[in-house]
Amino acid sequence: MKKLKIGGLKQSLELCQFDLRGPDSSEEIASKVSTLLLYQKINMEFLTYYPNRNSYHQLTFCISQDKFFTTSEILKKECSLPIGWEINSRGHVGIITIFPHQSAIKILGVIMVSWAAQSIPIYGIATSLSAISFVTDYYLIDKATEVIQDLFQLPEDHAPIKPEIRYYQSDIVKGD
Amino acid sequence: METIAVYWESRIKTYGFQRITDLAFIEFSCPLSEIKLLGEILSQDDLKILRPKFIIAQESDHEISFIFCLPLEEGENFHASLEKTPSLTNHRYIYPVSIIFFYGPHFGDRYGIATATFSTLSKAGIKIIASGCSSASVFLVLSQDDIDKAEEVLAETFEVAN
Repeated sequence: MKKLKIGGLKQSLELCQFDLRGPDSSEEIASKVSTLLLYQKINMEFLTYYPNRNSYHQLTFCISQDKFFTTSEILKKECSLPIGWEINSRGHVGIITIFPHQSAIKILGVIMVSWAAQSIPIYGIATSLSAISFVTDYYLIDKATEVIQDLFQLPEDHAPIKPEIRYYQSDIVKGD
Repeated sequence: METIAVYWESRIKTYGFQRITDLAFIEFSCPLSEIKLLGEILSQDDLKILRPKFIIAQESDHEISFIFCLPLEEGENFHASLEKTPSLTNHRYIYPVSIIFFYGPHFGDRYGIATATFSTLSKAGIKIIASGCSSASVFLVLSQDDIDKAEEVLAETFEVAN
């Protein structure tokens, strides 16, 4: 059978994930938590926010793995989160991003079926204009990538799948 | 060898704001044990023609919750096909919603983008229906009535690069 074509595939570096859930609150949780992380100069590399999921709100985000401890401590501090909010975290996750040309729902479904058959979990999904990003266990990221490479046809001149450079935002600010 | 590049801007730059209006918002949940079945439904050929503008999924308590934003007619058909699937729960269908999305230099590599976005909307009293940030872009699902005001206040926070 002819493979569906996708425009590209890339892996993230090692990340960690936080799921914050709680009841409706007068505080805007996405604004509050992102500001707490800003003070520590921590970049949110992936985020999903759904304030009306059933009876509770959920904010999920992924950050660099080396910020896991710092972020856990910030969130656990008294008054960081509104009353009734709970924190769940995963210490080692990664993101696989694919770039489908078309048939995004079909491609999503095919990946869900194939990963489920290989016991590869999905902890989060977010799309942009041209990409679908999946959060999964970091120790399974190569296996998950192989499954996608077997399912879809990638361009022959495809760029490296693994990240080669880590970008840091410097603390040093040089004026004009 | 390590190369350090310093990037500084007084206001965060974006390549501009884009919007998609008149969308249907569909939310449903599926037990994690049934995710393969859901995948089989989504990979059916009759759904191949759908052009989702935005999708997110969140996992918790042994289930995964999906949000799809689709053009109205496609959304109605998609919602109807999901309603026939007994293992899916908590359907929510909202119409109309709008999406505003943007990206900019080094989004994804630098801190502060989420704060600038969410704080700006919060101060303006704009409620977010859903949001997803990945691949260096920010997507916001808003009530259709809020889209003009959202773009106005975000344009004051971010600088639109020429």
